[in-house]
Amino acid sequence: MISRDRTMTAAGSRGLPWLAALFVGLALAVGGMQAARAQDSGSPEALVQRVTGEVLAAIKADPSVQSGDPQRLLQLVDEKILPYVDFEKTTRLAAGRYWRQATPEQQKALVKEFRTTLVRTYSGAVSSVKQQTTVELRPSHYAADATDVVVRTAIKQPAGDPVPVDYRMEKAGQGWKIYDVNVLGVWLIENYRNQFSQQIGQNGIDGLIKSLAERNSVFK
Amino acid sequence: MDKKLVALVLAAGLAGCASVPDGRPADPRDPLEGFNRGVYKFNDTVDRAVLKPVAQGYVNVVPSPVRSCVRNMFANVGDVMSALNSFLQNRAPDGINTTFRVLFNTTMGVFGCFDLATQNGLPRNKADFGQTLGVWGVASGPYLVLPLLGPSTIRDAGGTAVDFVADPVAVRNIDNIPVRNSVYGLRVVNARANLLEVGDLLDQVALDPYTFTRDAYLQRRASLIRGANSEEGALPDYSLPDYDDDDDAAAPAPAPGKPQK
Repeated sequence: MISRDRTMTAAGSRGLPWLAALFVGLALAVGGMQAARAQDSGSPEALVQRVTGEVLAAIKADPSVQSGDPQRLLQLVDEKILPYVDFEKTTRLAAGRYWRQATPEQQKALVKEFRTTLVRTYSGAVSSVKQQTTVELRPSHYAADATDVVVRTAIKQPAGDPVPVDYRMEKAGQGWKIYDVNVLGVWLIENYRNQFSQQIGQNGIDGLIKSLAERNSVFK
Repeated sequence: MDKKLVALVLAAGLAGCASVPDGRPADPRDPLEGFNRGVYKFNDTVDRAVLKPVAQGYVNVVPSPVRSCVRNMFANVGDVMSALNSFLQNRAPDGINTTFRVLFNTTMGVFGCFDLATQNGLPRNKADFGQTLGVWGVASGPYLVLPLLGPSTIRDAGGTAVDFVADPVAVRNIDNIPVRNSVYGLRVVNARANLLEVGDLLDQVALDPYTFTRDAYLQRRASLIRGANSEEGALPDYSLPDYDDDDDAAAPAPAPGKPQK
């Protein structure tokens, strides 16, 4: 369970109203990442549209997911997430130049803990999904032979403004894999790079892994 | 009261000067990090001690339709400056849309109590003077955490001041001081209550909530300004970050500012 002092902490004046929307968008974005099927052929838009639709349907249909039950969510992710998303790439880019300094064991641990961190975001914001929540595609522009594309969407909530969420995808074999998401103009990887280098600079790669793991253990 | 507050915040900021985490180079966008962290901590303390409990009480006591009305009325007033700034940013279609929103919501929506414009397919399009300055080419300057207001930059803080002074329907025009202060108070509580759903998420997902908030703020502002400058109008135009991935040289990222066509 999440400890009491953590639940007392708030975004408040430290953040901005859009930070709230950021988390909602991030939650759905990570949700999208969970179900993206790498083996799917066809256009990246079609993939994103179907996948986000399926994830929304799954959340709406399952009260235990909606209430953010950690075990249920982790199970969901463990079943679906690894084959479908290039989380290694996400983590590698977030770690930047430090990635090559890490041993294979450290790299593996870092990917695992970072993934759990993102899943926790999902569990925290998944209750914001309402029955009326929908995802719509926005026009995307890329060359027909591009292998690194951005698919643009917007999440529409019954109350409040639409939240723009974009997926950066790379062609992997016959299908596409998501490796970065943008919510309200904020790229996920870019937003973790400074925090990663901050932690590594202070306590090394093991320090970063430990820091992520400590936060994650609160969740379990 | 104001002087005391300023002194308190300055003291908090200066106290924070010593608390920049060691072992890494300073971020060039954030030369005031020590001061900023102090103010950030001050804001956080005020939030935990006062703002959040009050906002929670507000949500517990005031029925949802009333809160929705309050939220919409403040947002409707805010739309006036958004419309002005949209015109200043050479986004006439957004300016016209937002003007129409205000007229529609103020009349049919009973002084903004109901956001009928959004329900009828005319979503809100926020714009502020800091963004306008950015569109005009003014650089953001150093990142700055404002007491009680949160993340900003030198440029955006100036923009916030201009928006405050220029707003034709601002709360400060209310002559009755107790009423005026009550409205200010309600505005703050309303803003905080809207964030309650986020809860402790920031602390859960961020390795360093200060850095997370700063980087997200700077990324978002930059994308809003790029968006206002692009053909897509209000839709943020994301130039793709180039992650300089040595291991993946086969798929170079496109140049910043140029979406793939």
